[in-house]
Amino acid sequence: MNTRTLIPGIKNASSEPAKGEQRCPGAPSTQDIVASDKVRAPGWVRSESYQFLGDQDISKDRYIDPAFARLEMDTLWKKTWQFACREEHIPEVGDYHVYDIGRFSFIVTRVAPTEIRAYYNACLHRGTKLRASGTEGNTDEFKCSFHGWSWKLDGSHQETVCHWDFPHVDPKDFSLPQARVERLGGFVFINMDLSAPTLAEYLGPEIKAHFDAWKLENRYIYLHVAKRLPCNWKLAIEAFMEAYHVIETHPQVAVSNGDANSQYDVYGEHVNRFISPLGVLSPHLYGKHTEEDILKQFTLGDSGALGGGERSLGKNGSARQVMADMFRGMFEKATNTDLSGVSDSELLDCYSYTVFPNTFLFPGISLPMVYRFRPDPSDHRKCLYEVLFMRPVPVDGSRPMPAEPIRLRDDQSFCEAAGMDAGFGAILDQDTDNLVLQQEGLEASAKPGITLGNYQEIRVRHFELAIEKYVKPKA
Amino acid sequence: MNPHKLAFTRVLPASELPPNAKKPLSIEGKAILLCNVNGQLHAISNVCSHNDKPLERGRLGNGWIACPTHGARFDLATGNALCLPATKPIATYEVRVVEDWIEVLV
Repeated sequence: MNTRTLIPGIKNASSEPAKGEQRCPGAPSTQDIVASDKVRAPGWVRSESYQFLGDQDISKDRYIDPAFARLEMDTLWKKTWQFACREEHIPEVGDYHVYDIGRFSFIVTRVAPTEIRAYYNACLHRGTKLRASGTEGNTDEFKCSFHGWSWKLDGSHQETVCHWDFPHVDPKDFSLPQARVERLGGFVFINMDLSAPTLAEYLGPEIKAHFDAWKLENRYIYLHVAKRLPCNWKLAIEAFMEAYHVIETHPQVAVSNGDANSQYDVYGEHVNRFISPLGVLSPHLYGKHTEEDILKQFTLGDSGALGGGERSLGKNGSARQVMADMFRGMFEKATNTDLSGVSDSELLDCYSYTVFPNTFLFPGISLPMVYRFRPDPSDHRKCLYEVLFMRPVPVDGSRPMPAEPIRLRDDQSFCEAAGMDAGFGAILDQDTDNLVLQQEGLEASAKPGITLGNYQEIRVRHFELAIEKYVKPKA
Repeated sequence: MNPHKLAFTRVLPASELPPNAKKPLSIEGKAILLCNVNGQLHAISNVCSHNDKPLERGRLGNGWIACPTHGARFDLATGNALCLPATKPIATYEVRVVEDWIEVLV
């Protein structure tokens, strides 16, 4: 069913399309492309949920003003659900994973086979972190390395060293403070706001149903790359929210990417997505390339690591169908599974979902990433970007350990990360190069805000509206 | 050259150290921890360089072990400390399998 919605009453008298209603002229829609596929896409692909959300400029202050970054830390980061780790980071009771956001730090730990908690990572004596940032381990107590105060796995206070000197410390009042924890699709989310809506309410029923369909709990992290980016965290996020930039920034991709006819959707306040069809020519390049060119220049993404076969168009074949069939065979072989019922679109297309504020999920098969962006607490012009590639768990049911993060230096190419597909690494480098210029350009600009397209940049506006909601709550 | 320094000590049948298992041993008076991470064997000092506590109950990760007491992590291949509160490395020892026995050079 088409769930496309438009705000009524904004059509003008001259019968021109309402704002946000225009689509790339002369090109099939993403839904048209998907509907022509041999193996039918699931319902969560065959739906639309666009909404026009205004066309005012967005103030540039929010990207360049350190005071805005401080405000974000005191407001939105304390009230939103954030992806802290995957369940496979802490598979056993006593396993823990330290998640930091800004100046905040949490020990996310499995206290029982089916219970995970997140403790504020600070000793209640004089404040020392109980575990160093960015670490994992296993323990049956959290003991401070300074004076030895300790807490049991369940967060209750275990020992005050020289208790005789602390008659004013009642262990009952010294349990480790907690953030809320919820799990979905193998992801562990935390929220500092004890009165926040549940994660299901935060996502909304439609997106919860998408999550349930993806079964991402049956995947594991096989590659994890982290790099500091030279820009405000929101600029980095917004660079990945649209395919509008593909033709100029990633011309090598455009030959096999329906960029200008990608589909954009918004869901409630916290989730948006695009579907960017692959194996089809960019509308910018109509008439300039053949189906053979599309096939030849298809960017393999993760599947490059699996090794591709010979590409041949055959008689009356389309590049999109040839690639779908080829991917099906490659992934069936690599994972020893039957993918005959998996749609061509799921095998090929780029599905990019954002869970506000800082997580991207790509539930497709050839591009199976998770992105996470976090502000650098010491510099609003920097942020930490992580890309995690996920694959189905082996058919024997074993769960490989999640890959260790490869931490690139600022000056390194993404292509230098062992295991990174060269084509994909080059794309990320192109994005990074833009971002330093954008950060500097916004600071140099005489224009007070950024201007957005009504359709192709709707995710940016939707994201910025959510920023506003948390940073400037209504009185 | 002291020939004893080049002598491997046969310590354990390889079958007794399956993937992701650990085994504390005393070899020539030294506390050693044998680790098997996904089939890769490591022999390291069983003493945390931060607080002298044993590492044997520590979690094994992809190439690291975490001290269960305060969370210091060490690279299993080099012994280098990977995070606070440790800053000094732990000793590592050459390990090999000969005739299905694990041997350590101490």
